[in-house]
Amino acid sequence: MDLRSIEEQLGELESRALAAVADAADPDALKQVEVAFLGRKGELKAILDGIGRLPADDRPRVGAAGNAVKQHVLAAVEARGHRLDQIALEVRLAAERVDPTLPGRPLRRGSLHPVIETTREIVRVLGQFGFVVYESPEVETDELNFQALNIPPDHPARDLWDTLYLDERGFDSDGQGQEAPTRHLLRTHTSPGQIHVMRQTPPPIRALLPGRCFRYENVDASHGFEFFQLEGLMVDEGTTLGHLRGLLDEVAHALFGARRPTRFRPGYYPFTEPSVAFDVQCVICEGRGCPACKRTGWMTILGAGMVHPVVLRNGGIDPERYQGFAFGMGPDRMAMLRYGIDDIREFLTNDVRFLEQF
Amino acid sequence: MRVPLSWLRDYVEFDFLPEALADRLTLLGMEVQGIERIGGDWRSIVVGELVQVTPVPATDRLSLTRVQLGDGHGELSIVTGATNVAAGQRVPVALPGAVLPDGREIRVARFADVESHGMLCSGAELRLTHDADGILILPPDAPVGRPLAELYSDVVLDVDVKPNRGDALSMVGLAREVAAVTGSPLRWPDTRPTETGDATAEHVQVEVLDPALCPRFVARFVDAVALGPSPLEVQFRLTAAGQRSVSNVVDASNYVMLELGKPTHTFDAAAVTEGRIVVRRAAADERLETLDHVVRELDPETLVIADPRGPLGIAGVIGGAASEVSETTTSVIIESAIFDPVAIRRTAQRYALRSEASARFEKGQEWRLATIGVDRVAQLAAAWAGGRVATGMVDTNPVTPPLTRVPFRPRRVARLLGAPIDAAEMRELLGRVEIVTEPASRSDAVPAVPGEPPRPLDPEDAASALVAVVPGHRRDLAIEADIAEEVARVRGYETLPAALPSTEMPGYRQDPRRTVDVVRELLSARGLNEAVTHALVGPRDHELLAIASDDPATIRVTNPLSADHSQLRRSLLPGLARVLVHNERQRRGDAALFEIGAVHELRASDAWESRQLGILLAGEWRPGHWDEPGRSADIGDAKGLVEWLVARLATGNLRYRDEVGTHGAVAHPGRRASVAFELPLVGLVELGEVGELHPAYLRSLDVRAERVAFAVVSVDALETLADTQRRFVPVPRVPAVERDLAVVTPETLPAGEVERVIRETAGPLLRGLRLFDRYQGPPLGRDEVSLAYRLQLQAADRTLAEAEIDDLVSTVVSELGARLGAHIRG
Repeated sequence: MDLRSIEEQLGELESRALAAVADAADPDALKQVEVAFLGRKGELKAILDGIGRLPADDRPRVGAAGNAVKQHVLAAVEARGHRLDQIALEVRLAAERVDPTLPGRPLRRGSLHPVIETTREIVRVLGQFGFVVYESPEVETDELNFQALNIPPDHPARDLWDTLYLDERGFDSDGQGQEAPTRHLLRTHTSPGQIHVMRQTPPPIRALLPGRCFRYENVDASHGFEFFQLEGLMVDEGTTLGHLRGLLDEVAHALFGARRPTRFRPGYYPFTEPSVAFDVQCVICEGRGCPACKRTGWMTILGAGMVHPVVLRNGGIDPERYQGFAFGMGPDRMAMLRYGIDDIREFLTNDVRFLEQF
Repeated sequence: MRVPLSWLRDYVEFDFLPEALADRLTLLGMEVQGIERIGGDWRSIVVGELVQVTPVPATDRLSLTRVQLGDGHGELSIVTGATNVAAGQRVPVALPGAVLPDGREIRVARFADVESHGMLCSGAELRLTHDADGILILPPDAPVGRPLAELYSDVVLDVDVKPNRGDALSMVGLAREVAAVTGSPLRWPDTRPTETGDATAEHVQVEVLDPALCPRFVARFVDAVALGPSPLEVQFRLTAAGQRSVSNVVDASNYVMLELGKPTHTFDAAAVTEGRIVVRRAAADERLETLDHVVRELDPETLVIADPRGPLGIAGVIGGAASEVSETTTSVIIESAIFDPVAIRRTAQRYALRSEASARFEKGQEWRLATIGVDRVAQLAAAWAGGRVATGMVDTNPVTPPLTRVPFRPRRVARLLGAPIDAAEMRELLGRVEIVTEPASRSDAVPAVPGEPPRPLDPEDAASALVAVVPGHRRDLAIEADIAEEVARVRGYETLPAALPSTEMPGYRQDPRRTVDVVRELLSARGLNEAVTHALVGPRDHELLAIASDDPATIRVTNPLSADHSQLRRSLLPGLARVLVHNERQRRGDAALFEIGAVHELRASDAWESRQLGILLAGEWRPGHWDEPGRSADIGDAKGLVEWLVARLATGNLRYRDEVGTHGAVAHPGRRASVAFELPLVGLVELGEVGELHPAYLRSLDVRAERVAFAVVSVDALETLADTQRRFVPVPRVPAVERDLAVVTPETLPAGEVERVIRETAGPLLRGLRLFDRYQGPPLGRDEVSLAYRLQLQAADRTLAEAEIDDLVSTVVSELGARLGAHIRG
């Protein structure tokens, strides 16, 4: 062994190692190459083990040369490693390519019922004016549904509400006569809620009462025997008919657009005096006149008025000190106008193709 | 109320177009719901004169007419089947090309080899009368050749008169409203008849035995009448107003009802024994054949008009057949009475005989109309039927009651309306609707609340208060608020300034629908469609739930529209199942539905209303995709939804039990559970049931889906969970320790029991518990199952020592063994 021959061996090892590194096709092969040449039992070690037989003067020189070979090969391994990572990534990316125009994985759509959402929207609008929500029962008595609302027995106005009556068996009442105070019925409107609210809350009152109502009514495109109402009640010392008009304008504008004309005109309800009917310009023909608005250009969206003094009294409120207004609107009708639905029966049919649109 | 404008113009002048008039009436509270044009669709229909009428040879009934159409139009040959035609008559002629109101087009046609160049029209074909039998014979002076539309077209307003305004159910009443708009005077018709006969009292005597039910009865007598058709113009008016023309005498009565709002009745005087009329309650055993030829049993609640032999008619509701005016009638007694409104309403309801007359009586009648009405009927009957009116009238109560005075405070009215209207303007506005005002005196008191004593005037109001003297026809004005409405109505609601409230706000109140809305948002975001189904269901819906059709807790409707909607629902499931059936028929069986609504039952003798959440999952619950198949829902999905909902609303654990709930009858017996929530310190809160619907139930409803998962949850219970306070738990600084336990138990032991024992034994250190595997098969015994749980253990304040964890786990293991006979696998 002489110096020259060792240097030759180192040079030859380096060039073989570099070639093997360059040939390594994957990280495992690269690792094997590294171990074979640079490992504890590798070729470089074997050569350098012969260093002891060299003259002492030559040893540092050989040591330095061996180290240089090691550094060169390590650098090549590292570079090759990076390159292999990069190739592997490119291969993976190429392999994983999909048609980016394919549709996404579907989720069920889900929906909220338009009548309930419309109710919620109106509540949201009026909530900004301090109105709070109450609930009142669907089963009522003649007393609360009619008599407390200034509709005594045998009043001609009773014809405005065809009523579904309940079998009195099992109720704690004598059930005397169709219009007896204790006669149980399905509420024909949410107005009895006015009495419930007044009896549990002293003024100032700003209340909303949403709910389901029932009438003995044949079903057609604009009527159902079950429908929804939203009652509003405001009572304090200075509430006026002008305030009613102002608030209803806000509701109409929120639901049907800020520039939609409205109309405030006399109506009739036994439980309000003065009574009001409130119209918005027809949303279908924009006031020109069409079958939907019976060629009037207007659509009535609610009835209202100043709470009748008898009703205030029945609610336990002094009508000399307090005054207020009440209104009742139909969220189903509002939803029909809002979305252009032409048949109220859609709401209770619950066709998925209908529900999915909301 | 149908109002022909040609008729309305008799009583008031106006120069509005019909649409403008309709608008003004609507803004005055007389809502016009429709405008109909009679003759608006007449084209090429003219007046013709029959020059010659000859039979068409070889036919039974056909006649060939030659019709003169006036200068420049020449003559036409027209075949008609009518038998009431004769030469010299003037008739409506539809020329070839004309289109009748029913859409029929007139062309040249051949009948039995004779050409017909048009058609002679009946009154019904033109919608001028109800007569379809003969040709409409026009007056002899009808101008030949003139388009019929120029002579007889009219516009009819359909006015929705509200129940409080019975006075406006008449031409004069609505003319009064028009006069309030235009300021032009109301023209009352001259109603005085020419009296040429002897004294009325010689022919008619009236005795009222029940003056409470009949405060006033006025009668007149007309003889020498010749029954026949009314004048053509009267027939047209009645037809346009929606009333059938009967005969001149009967028409006179109906005409006055429509003109003045005063129902009257005409009796054939020959059928009234001795001309003696008795107004009394019916006896219990009396019967009467009414005008509709139905024999009715009368009852003592019923007021009848009778003669000494028995009832002649039911007062205010319907006449009797025996005393009906007919072709043989030569003398008539005219009744014009005031009846108690409530009694009339009840009687009409009891006999199911609501009529135009009873509708007016039940709203109350103006006192003086009794005499004005009887005069007008007598006058018109004599004019149209050629009769002789007896002198004077019989009147049981000629004393006119005083007018109602309503003292009111203008300041208070302005405050109610929120508009700066002063007293002088109020007086002017009220004057326009015939309400006279005068200053109130110190003794006047304000009727503020009906049924309560009027309020004496405060000193501050004493000087400014007014009294509204209400004209007799306005029975709706009784309190101060009524006067406020009248002021606003005449001034125009549109003139009231709109303002937003500046008054005191109420305090905060939590929205009672808050939890409901959270649940709705959560479920819809999970892909469910919110439904709203009927609250009224059928007995079969309940029977399938094993609730008998006569179950005492079910609330029933006595007058349902159909049996399918006759009971208040006790569960939301039947309604949702019906929605599923509907959608399956539309090939949308992939229905994931929920509804939140009230259910009812009788509890403690009262209606008990509670809120329920119903969930129904059918068809493809997880939608399929091109690289992934879809999957239908099962009990696990229903549970998952409930667990997720509850986790979002509250903190704590759900507990399932293998129990039969109220929906047991419709649940799959092997796939259903009751659900409760373990509320700390309170205990178990029952939430409801989850499961799959029984295949037999699905079959009985014609549901096609193999498997339908459901959940029924009490929303009231959910709310109690949501209301409990959510407390922050400090987040540990190190990860929890995890230990897995494979618990081998008998297959029949509910997994919920294993979970319960683990939770109870591990106590507060157990932060999470998840079943991650369930295994059956070798090497386990045939009846054994292995449940693999992952326990997450952690203390809030320290790192758990290995020994502590091992102790805890071995305690759990020994408890499982001791309490459930379970052992640990491997």
